[in-house]
Amino acid sequence: MSETGKGVKELFEEVINQGLCTGCGACITGCPYLVDHEGRIVLMDKCTGGDGDCYKHCPRTFLDRDAISRTVFGSSYDDGEIGQFLEIFMARSKDPEIRKRGQDGGTVTGLLVMAMEEGLIDVAACTRMNEEKVPRGYLAHSRSELLHCAGSSYEACLALQAYRSLPKDNLEKIAIVGRGCQIEAVGKMKQIQPQNSPDPKNIKLSLGLICGWALSPSSFHPYLKEICELSNVSKFDIPHTPHYSFDVHFNNHPDTMSLPLDKIKPFINPACWFCWDMTAEFSDISVGSAGAEFPGWNTVIVRSPVGSKLVLLANRKGILETRSLPNHRLENLKKAALKRKNAAYENIVQKTGNDEDLLYLRTLPGSIAERYSGKNE
Amino acid sequence: MRKEKLKKDPYNVIISGVGGQGNVLLSGFIGTALLNEGFIVSVADTFGVSQRGGSVSSHIKISEKTLYSSVTLKGKADVIIGMEPVETLRTLVDFGNPTVITIVNPRPFYPSGGVEYPDLSEVRQTIEKMSSKTQYVQATEEALRMGNPIYTNVILLGAVVGSGILPISRESMIPLLEERFPDKLLDPNINAFNKGMALTAET
Amino acid sequence: MASIGLDKSGAEVLLMGNEAVARGVIEAGVGVASAYPGSPTSEVIPAIAEVAKERNIYVEWSTNEKVALEVAAGASFAGIRGFSVMKQNGANVAADFLVNLNMTGIGSAGLVIFISDDPGGGTSNNEEDSRAVAKWLDNPLMEPSSAQEAKEMIKWAYEVSEAVNLVTFVRGVGRISYTRSNVVLNELPDKNKTKPFFPEIWDMNNPRKSRFTSGPFPIFHKPLHEKLEKARTIFETSSFNRYLGPEKPELLIITCGACTSYCIEAMEELKLNEEVGILKLGTTWPLPEKLVACHLISARKILFVEEMDPFVEQSVMELAASLLPATAKLSFFGARSGHITPYNELSTDIVIDALSDILNVAYRGRDIAYENLSREAAKLVPHRPINMCPGCPHRATFWALKQAITLDGRNGFLCGDVGCYSMGFSEPGFFQSRTMHAMGSGAGVASGMGKLKQFGFDQPVLAICGDSTFFHAAMPALVNGVYNNSDFTLLIVDNSATAMTGFQPHPGTGQLATGDPATVVSIEAVCKAMGAFVEVCDPFDLHKTTNALLKMMKKEGGTKVIVMRHMCQLVKDKRRIAREYKMHVDPSRCLADNCGCNRLCTRLFGCSGLIVDNKSGKAVIDEALCAGCGLCSSICPANAIIREAN
Repeated sequence: MSETGKGVKELFEEVINQGLCTGCGACITGCPYLVDHEGRIVLMDKCTGGDGDCYKHCPRTFLDRDAISRTVFGSSYDDGEIGQFLEIFMARSKDPEIRKRGQDGGTVTGLLVMAMEEGLIDVAACTRMNEEKVPRGYLAHSRSELLHCAGSSYEACLALQAYRSLPKDNLEKIAIVGRGCQIEAVGKMKQIQPQNSPDPKNIKLSLGLICGWALSPSSFHPYLKEICELSNVSKFDIPHTPHYSFDVHFNNHPDTMSLPLDKIKPFINPACWFCWDMTAEFSDISVGSAGAEFPGWNTVIVRSPVGSKLVLLANRKGILETRSLPNHRLENLKKAALKRKNAAYENIVQKTGNDEDLLYLRTLPGSIAERYSGKNE
Repeated sequence: MRKEKLKKDPYNVIISGVGGQGNVLLSGFIGTALLNEGFIVSVADTFGVSQRGGSVSSHIKISEKTLYSSVTLKGKADVIIGMEPVETLRTLVDFGNPTVITIVNPRPFYPSGGVEYPDLSEVRQTIEKMSSKTQYVQATEEALRMGNPIYTNVILLGAVVGSGILPISRESMIPLLEERFPDKLLDPNINAFNKGMALTAET
Repeated sequence: MASIGLDKSGAEVLLMGNEAVARGVIEAGVGVASAYPGSPTSEVIPAIAEVAKERNIYVEWSTNEKVALEVAAGASFAGIRGFSVMKQNGANVAADFLVNLNMTGIGSAGLVIFISDDPGGGTSNNEEDSRAVAKWLDNPLMEPSSAQEAKEMIKWAYEVSEAVNLVTFVRGVGRISYTRSNVVLNELPDKNKTKPFFPEIWDMNNPRKSRFTSGPFPIFHKPLHEKLEKARTIFETSSFNRYLGPEKPELLIITCGACTSYCIEAMEELKLNEEVGILKLGTTWPLPEKLVACHLISARKILFVEEMDPFVEQSVMELAASLLPATAKLSFFGARSGHITPYNELSTDIVIDALSDILNVAYRGRDIAYENLSREAAKLVPHRPINMCPGCPHRATFWALKQAITLDGRNGFLCGDVGCYSMGFSEPGFFQSRTMHAMGSGAGVASGMGKLKQFGFDQPVLAICGDSTFFHAAMPALVNGVYNNSDFTLLIVDNSATAMTGFQPHPGTGQLATGDPATVVSIEAVCKAMGAFVEVCDPFDLHKTTNALLKMMKKEGGTKVIVMRHMCQLVKDKRRIAREYKMHVDPSRCLADNCGCNRLCTRLFGCSGLIVDNKSGKAVIDEALCAGCGLCSSICPANAIIREAN
């Protein structure tokens, strides 16, 4: 499949109309033709250009994991269950205010606050929920703004448009926080220079979020609006105990609205079932929930020297409490990640009807087929 | 009023330009001057939506005998006054013939909607090929030198009178300018008219 | 150039048909003139208005043609000559009053309507031959062939109108209305009018029905036909019917109106002065049958030359049939034979082709070499699309609408209407108008579509009308929507003018036809009083306007109105309102063809103030055309279009 000379027309044909759009926001480059309206990507008018960044950086048009690995890490792709990593442990912020606002341990917020205070970054492109709990890409420039960005909506927010909104000549040091698909897109941007966004060399830090699936904002948010008063919500959570549920916590009363996950499943973005990368394999550091066994803690996967340096600094500054990750937790994580890759492979092959055509995946089809088709289990 | 004889009866004049350039002002002056000189004239301007940036033209038919319809027969123009090069060419396509005399303001007006404008030198060459005689009058340039593009059509009017291709004298035109442009506007317009006359004085 | 009020009988001036009509109205001593603007007639009223005070004439812009005719009829009922003028569509609007007026007859003073049709639709979105209205409703009809004749016919029409007690039509076409030619002026009458008096007041001693009430029926139809026959007798000897040519022509052309000069020119071009005779009819309904019959039997071939409907052709063919067997050997040519096209404008060239074919006479046009040159040259000539003026607020409205409909994503659509914003149906308006019919029809059609929910219809419905159109025809449709609880949003684009027809004032503008101040009728107050949900926006604030539209489309149920208020750029120019901004493009920021822009401003937005610099490939402001409105600044994705306050 040709990868050059394509633009928004092909983006719609190959990705959006195919149900493959993960809602990462990489295509919302600030051009007038592609706009994010209430979580939906809208084509505003006819673009006749054929060399679009929208197509180039979309993680679902073509994704050469090996090429990205070389660009991001300087080494070929580690096709292990959770990708390449230098260390893995559990952590939580020592700062009570950060811990209070954080989803689990506040590790992402804690690291960003430190990085900003140390002058390692000037701005963090993350996600912030407004009063009605609508998540939007946000450029945070201070500790208090970072605190406002803490906490997850579980929706597939097109957050990368925040980075895209920066002018090309912007020289700030940037951190990007994102789900696996968003980190994949950032990888593509590092590999293929954007035409109208800041030089990806200015992206000094990428923090990945471990993500199993995300909810479609255009359908889920109206549903939420009907069942609760969103301005009173303090937090959303999917605790893994006692049974998987989608919990809504409120500011003004102690009762939690607990929705069985079956009620939420219809709102899952169908594109998530074609996703290979649960753990955001191309980030400097990936962070997720440590699970029901360790409430209020994060699992932290450090992948790159940049990540290692940051964690070292965090230890020196004493901003994080850390403990080792028990082996069974690591095995669980790997199992879950592998399960996702298997499912993705099956869904892709079912869609194309042909195990030679793996849609957007471009790397080592042979080994992928062998390892992840379940033949080697 | 002194009256010259027409070179041909009826005599067909077409003024072509772009909506908003002021071809109606020009056709009004020429028509009225001719009437005052004792001719029977019929003047028709393009009307309607063309005014909004589209092609417009004014047809003037002059006779000593009788009233004709204003519209020129296909291929029967005697004089074409082109306020814009491509519009001049458009008129020549339908109404030109080997004997037509053309006076052109060669400054292009670009069509909207990203429509390509043809190569200007090719347009000029074709105009010359399709006319027996072509005179270029840099009316817009002259007007800009005067400080305002609004003088363009009065300069062109002066050029037409100065060229002698129409049986209109300066003496017929000046009272019309005086009637049309009150007080402060009169002097610059007379000035513009004179400048135009000078541009084609040799014929 | 000369004012039509010139008090100099015998003076010869250059006037267009509309001005000559106005002069005729004044020379006829008319007291009341009323109209709604409609090209090609829009210049008549302003010409009269210019001298209205000094000639003691009341002149008004009415809200529509039916009301205009009613106004003029009121004058006639009270003994003052009344006059109304309209385009072809106006005749349709006035028809219901006219049919009843024909039943009652007019007052003691004459009532004349000047209708000007638009063959070729240069200034209309339809083509219609209004002469049929005269036949349909039984009114005398005359057609001038020049501006001079238009003036004379107006005066004579009053005599006819008073002689037969009927509204009389003088019918022109755009070519007559707009062509300027020599007109000799006649005496101006005494400006004093006889004191008007309405004679049909209630008399308690002799209570009886007023003759101005159209009932009981159908007693009035017979006298109406008798009036028409009386007109026919008058027409038989009218000097407006003229014959020129040999006593026994081989071919007789029967023609009328603007086509007369085409026939004369064609005859001269082909040098057929001996073979062809031209019967020019000035009175075309009822047909002066005796006169026509004389000429019919003098020829062998008959060619009918008229524009649009074969109106004269049909009535003469009817006559010829009734004269059988005397007319048995005649051959007829015209619309029926395919020589004359019954649509679009005619020209001398078409008549030359017809004569050439019928009489087998060759006509040499240009030589082949020149024809080839011409064909090659045609390839160079680009299409020059019409566009909205730079600074036009409709461009902003249609852009905001396009954005809102696209973002909304539920296949919303706009029912279009007639005015400068007619261009909504094509490129300048981004093809947003998806229906377009008569004035006010947008709101009417939307009112209907807004009631289809019960069948599962789920597309947002919008409509548009201008400020003048609102008063003219959209108000009843809006009331209809509110009353029937129809779910649609009406955009009223208020640019402070009846712009397309020449910036005539209307009830919202605060000015009368004479330029005197008028009571302002507030559009939004009227809409609120009706019970619609109303908001007012400046379309130049694209963000606010787009959001307002989105909100309206999402609002379930009920009729909604957004008044898009921003003055027309040409009105601003006329009032010498200074340009708001000085615009320029920063070439270092302009992306042009590249990703992120793809020439949005010139390719899609399309204001003619923005062009492409062929050398640099960047967008550039065309200073000769830019109106300095600043709108393009809001749409440039690279913020490369800079506006500086003037």
